[in-house]
Amino acid sequence: MMNRWLPLVAYIAAVLDATLLGSIVQTQFNLAALSALGVEISFATRLATTGHDLLGFTPLYGSLVAIMMLGAMPAATLVTRWLGSGAWLIHALSAALGLWVMLWIVDTLAPMPTLIAATRSLEGTLAMMASAALGGWGYAILAYTKWDGFSA
Amino acid sequence: MQRLCCIPLTIIGSAACAMAMATDYRIETLAKGLEHPWSLAFLPEGGMLVTERAGRLRFIEADGTLRDAPIAGMPEVLVDGQAGLFEVALAPDYADSDMVYLSYACGTLTANTTCLDRARFDGRRLTDRAPLFRAEPDKRGSSHYGGRLTFLPDDTLVLGLGDGFDYREQAQNPANHLGSLVRLNLDGSTPDDNPFVADSEARAELYSIGHRNIQGIVYDAMRGELLIHEHGPRGGDELNRILPGANYGWPLATHGVDYTGALVTPFTELPEFESPLLHWTPSIAPSGMTLYDGGQFPEWHGDLFVSALAGRQVRRLIREDGEIVDQEVLFTELDERIRDVRTGPDRALYLLTDSEQGRVLRVVPASPP
Repeated sequence: MMNRWLPLVAYIAAVLDATLLGSIVQTQFNLAALSALGVEISFATRLATTGHDLLGFTPLYGSLVAIMMLGAMPAATLVTRWLGSGAWLIHALSAALGLWVMLWIVDTLAPMPTLIAATRSLEGTLAMMASAALGGWGYAILAYTKWDGFSA
Repeated sequence: MQRLCCIPLTIIGSAACAMAMATDYRIETLAKGLEHPWSLAFLPEGGMLVTERAGRLRFIEADGTLRDAPIAGMPEVLVDGQAGLFEVALAPDYADSDMVYLSYACGTLTANTTCLDRARFDGRRLTDRAPLFRAEPDKRGSSHYGGRLTFLPDDTLVLGLGDGFDYREQAQNPANHLGSLVRLNLDGSTPDDNPFVADSEARAELYSIGHRNIQGIVYDAMRGELLIHEHGPRGGDELNRILPGANYGWPLATHGVDYTGALVTPFTELPEFESPLLHWTPSIAPSGMTLYDGGQFPEWHGDLFVSALAGRQVRRLIREDGEIVDQEVLFTELDERIRDVRTGPDRALYLLTDSEQGRVLRVVPASPP
């Protein structure tokens, strides 16, 4: 029988997972854009910048991911029950799609064209969606472990 | 129509620094009901022209009456977000030529940029309007146009531009106009002595690069200095002394961080870039600037005044021998976003408040000098 707290634990883990990975990814895209301008970025600077963003970027981004996951994970669970299998893939896709929708909403509402600089390019957007997908995948692993024994 | 009226708002400039002397002043409302006024120009025959970001050019009579009908003959202006009508400036020989310069956002939401036109003002309408300059390339979105301009003593003008927000790395690319200051002859042609003229891969109009969004320009004729200020992201608003051909570092060097809290860059300064004279962190969102000659406030002689949107103030930059030695926060009692600050022909300070019911304000001594 599924632990009643497992979805909550899985949700928190998924939000943390997607947020931290997303932060690391967006830092690398921003630094890559600077490197393309010819500036040298040492490993220590890259590490410090990544660490700074894990503190500075995650409060806002984590809030967006948390809201997104609140919709995306229950929706993925419904689809999984309807299909009867594929939990890992469905939750990963749902989180990725959820982030894409969230970015679209934020960019529509915010005064600037693109709030998160890394998502100005298709590559950056896909990378951020992939980091969200890992969060959704993590959710499925945790939430489904004792429910149907890795039903994916 | 609005008549000149005085508001007993008054008094005492709040001192943000130990050395600033509190100055008694009175703030009068000259005109109101303007939709996001952006710029004003004082006509030699009296009265003034005021731009509204919504795309209208308005006329205020010498007695403060705001003429109902906008001035006809305007270009088609893109109005959205930060896009709209920006600067109005009288040609240096306006008394003879009647020519005015207008900067504005042009194009569509998906392909737009900053444009500069020149036209003749006959007291009622604009005629003989001609486009002088269009920043390239077109961009998507309605952010970061720059738009301020000023004239230099060698019969050229400089126009500040923005990076278009999403295109910040392009501020380092001299092959386009994004994030730059351009210098033009008064007819829109390119001066032969512009710093990038010899570079076949650079835009000949460029005067300096590496800017984010230039919002204030002043030429200090006494010192031969061109000063600009520009918006940083979250923090990192800058005041810069412009050197021809110099690179001011955006987005590789800034004291600000992105609105998301992420670093735009790990560097606040790099040796290959000009560092700002000062930066405002946290941001005040500087919006306009004037060099005050001390006419009605002798104690303010030679100081720079910077209007601020987010800061809801005017920042007095106290200068000694051209160096900024301190700052004073002024006019916070208005509690309004201030779009522009100017020195009028009567040598009073004039302010534009930024709202849908924006006002033209005049700051004069509390008691006549």
